[in-house]
Amino acid sequence: MSDKEKKKAPIRYSPLDGLFKGRQGVLLGLFALFALFLAIFPLLPFASGFWLNTLTLILLLAAMAIGWNFIGGYTGYAAFGNVAFFGIGAYGTGLSMIRLGLGFFPSLMIGAVAAMVFAILIGLPILRLKGHYFAIATVAIATAMGEIADSWTSFTGGAAGITLPFFSPIEWSGQFFYYMAFLLAMGGLLLTWFILNRKMGYSWVAIREDEDAANMMGINTTWAKVMAFALSALMAGLAGGIYAYWKTFVLAEEVFKIEYTLQMILAAVLGGTGTIFGPFIGAFIYYILITLLVFFLPVGQLHATILGVIIILVMVFTPKGLMDFLSGKKKLSVNALLENIRTYRV
Amino acid sequence: MESLQFTQGIVNAILLSGTLTLVAIGFSIVWGILNIINLAHGAFLMVGAYITYWLFTLYGVDPFLSLPISMAIMFLVGYAVQRYLINLVIRAPLLVTFLLTFAMEIVIINLATFFWKGDLRSVTPDYAGLGFTLGNVQIPYVRLAAFIISLILTGLLHVFMTYTKTGNAIRATGMDIDAARLQGVRIPQTYALTYALGTALAAGAGTLISISFPIDPTMGGAYTLRAFVICVLGGLGSIPGVMLGALLFSFIEVFSGIWFPSLKDAIALLVLVLVLIVRPSGIAGKAFYH
Amino acid sequence: MEREVILETQNATKHFGGLAAVEKVNMKIYKGEILGLIGPNGAGKTTFVNIITGMLPITAGKVYFKGQDITGWPAYKVGRLGIARTFQIVKPFRGMTVRENVAVGAMFGHGGHKRSPREALEHVDEIIEFVGMAHLRDKHADQLTLPYLKRLELAKALAMDPELLFLDEVMAGLNTKEIESAMELVRRINERGITILVIEHVMKAIVGVTQRVFVLNFGQELAQGTPHEVLNNPEVIQAYLGEKFVERFFRQQKAA
Repeated sequence: MSDKEKKKAPIRYSPLDGLFKGRQGVLLGLFALFALFLAIFPLLPFASGFWLNTLTLILLLAAMAIGWNFIGGYTGYAAFGNVAFFGIGAYGTGLSMIRLGLGFFPSLMIGAVAAMVFAILIGLPILRLKGHYFAIATVAIATAMGEIADSWTSFTGGAAGITLPFFSPIEWSGQFFYYMAFLLAMGGLLLTWFILNRKMGYSWVAIREDEDAANMMGINTTWAKVMAFALSALMAGLAGGIYAYWKTFVLAEEVFKIEYTLQMILAAVLGGTGTIFGPFIGAFIYYILITLLVFFLPVGQLHATILGVIIILVMVFTPKGLMDFLSGKKKLSVNALLENIRTYRV
Repeated sequence: MESLQFTQGIVNAILLSGTLTLVAIGFSIVWGILNIINLAHGAFLMVGAYITYWLFTLYGVDPFLSLPISMAIMFLVGYAVQRYLINLVIRAPLLVTFLLTFAMEIVIINLATFFWKGDLRSVTPDYAGLGFTLGNVQIPYVRLAAFIISLILTGLLHVFMTYTKTGNAIRATGMDIDAARLQGVRIPQTYALTYALGTALAAGAGTLISISFPIDPTMGGAYTLRAFVICVLGGLGSIPGVMLGALLFSFIEVFSGIWFPSLKDAIALLVLVLVLIVRPSGIAGKAFYH
Repeated sequence: MEREVILETQNATKHFGGLAAVEKVNMKIYKGEILGLIGPNGAGKTTFVNIITGMLPITAGKVYFKGQDITGWPAYKVGRLGIARTFQIVKPFRGMTVRENVAVGAMFGHGGHKRSPREALEHVDEIIEFVGMAHLRDKHADQLTLPYLKRLELAKALAMDPELLFLDEVMAGLNTKEIESAMELVRRINERGITILVIEHVMKAIVGVTQRVFVLNFGQELAQGTPHEVLNNPEVIQAYLGEKFVERFFRQQKAA
């Protein structure tokens, strides 16, 4: 084909609608500004410990949501047990530090690799399951892992948990963990972008849309699914390792909490599954929503109810996330919010 | 001693299987007909248990007599929940209904903990500790009664689904929703009715469980997972399948509880995953994907 | 002169539980031909294609592609080797544009290993034009009508650069005019040097495009030969139209 003809038919390289549509340039610029703000945030005068703490939590959640998006958003497998990878990452990092006496970074690598290997081992059999069956198998494995970690006292410390050394110098601790979380989330976004421009990205979306057709068209679906699962485990495992060292304490009940899975899914869903920035932005939206609701309904013991009500509202009104509204693809209106119900009610 | 424990284990497993059938059967019809995994199933069961507890504690109502009351209340609740909430998004992708029912579970458990506190409670009628021995095996009256009532309710459900017009409408809807609609079945109401049956059966199970075991607001989650395992074991879509699945599961649970007490749930869950992988059509061999 | 065999099955068999869906089928497909595969509903045509292409595990028998034993290969390997297929119930990637849909074939199919995604996206222009969808290139697949979805199936398969193409009822549901142009398309694909097996219920299409026809009935070979021979074979007529029809037909003939 000659150069002239190529110009005649411009090709949209937007990989699989991953990027903002419509106001692409403006929004990308806004995002870059926001990222820059986050990058210099600890240097700002009002960056108190409270804000660093909150943002570290949000960024860790964003990283996990970005990871969940690989398997749940792009590949379309409703993984409900990603907290298992978080827990394995936390235990892997913690145990390497206290039992092997390794430094934080090598331990973090061990934790993350352990999470990935685990994802590959369980992924090979369970990624053959579809729909509800896959979802519940992941819940079951995550719950079982929590129970095993809790009762395997000689290895994991059981109900007493394990205590990690403090980060030193301790006065930089807040900044250190903030930047770890920031880099992880940014790395996750870059990884998403990188994959979407590779064949792997196309195979994930093809599998989501029609697995049989994808398979027949030459896509090694098993490999692609296991990779999606393993990469989501990598993100959660790294987040778990960072979290463990940050809190200097690992307890099965805490790091295998099913609420964490729920939070990552919710962040991804709020922002928009199967989009690059959706899970990242969703993590912020999630925290803002929770904080606002807690503020207006200050009954401490009812936080879970608030979370539940948010999920119900999101599922009923905007399960495709807010990304369509933010990117200008759709106008935010009562009508747009009712569209979901019109489509899916009986 | 070993052999006594073994025989007692068998009897316990059989008695348990009755209640677990009741737990799983509501879950199974909701799954089979509405094609949703009702993660709030265990939460409704818990509410049923608390209804019995409060009726007994505040008004001295015999727990067995409260069975129809808790079932009726939860029937109405279930009907409303399906009609005015789940029906709104029932045809959405799996993730949506999954998260929706999960969120319902969170809300119900949290509210229950808030209002009723998180501590363990027991329903203790005078006859609670009584029983008889058969050989060396002990059989508590309440568990035997729970077993029998479970079987009766299961039988009634079977009769309802097979021989009544409404039951047939429900089954038709599960098989082919468009054909059912053409036959004049009102789908939203039928869905609500199906879900209501599911929650009522869950509440019934909750009542029976509350007589034999202590209860607390978080008791339900374990039962939801058990219901799922049982449906997987027995294969979806048949009442005998659920009974068989419940029986198998009861044996796994009772004996793993004897041999590996701290990993009771983990073993049940790993059995689930194993069955899913090895025999995804269930042990009873019914079609899994419909 | 002996013609070159591109695909051969030996006693290909598929059982579902105790049910034989395909039973000991021996079929040869010659390089460059258009072979028709016909048979009444439930005769096992699609199942036969499924076991050749690795969509379903084969129960017994052998499959050879250009002399190579490909029995039991997974579908993606079969696809990369140079066998493509369309699906009776169309399977578009709804969230992707037409171009992306077709590019997936160019990325992962036969010869896909040498293309990057970007090259694949560029490469498929010609194929999209070939199937007459140039104007829909950047539309999402979920916005297409059925005739175009069928064409998209073709384009996706063609983008895989196959040597052998299975077309599973690409004409079902189309009107007369659409069938004409689909037939034309099949001929033109064949002219590109691609061997084709057509599963079809539309007899006009079978007679119009195929050189040879293979008939399956209850999972077994019933007949094979030229379209004319096969369609005049009394057993085939009976299998298709049923005993009652044949009786009535002869009764009417007698009466006349």
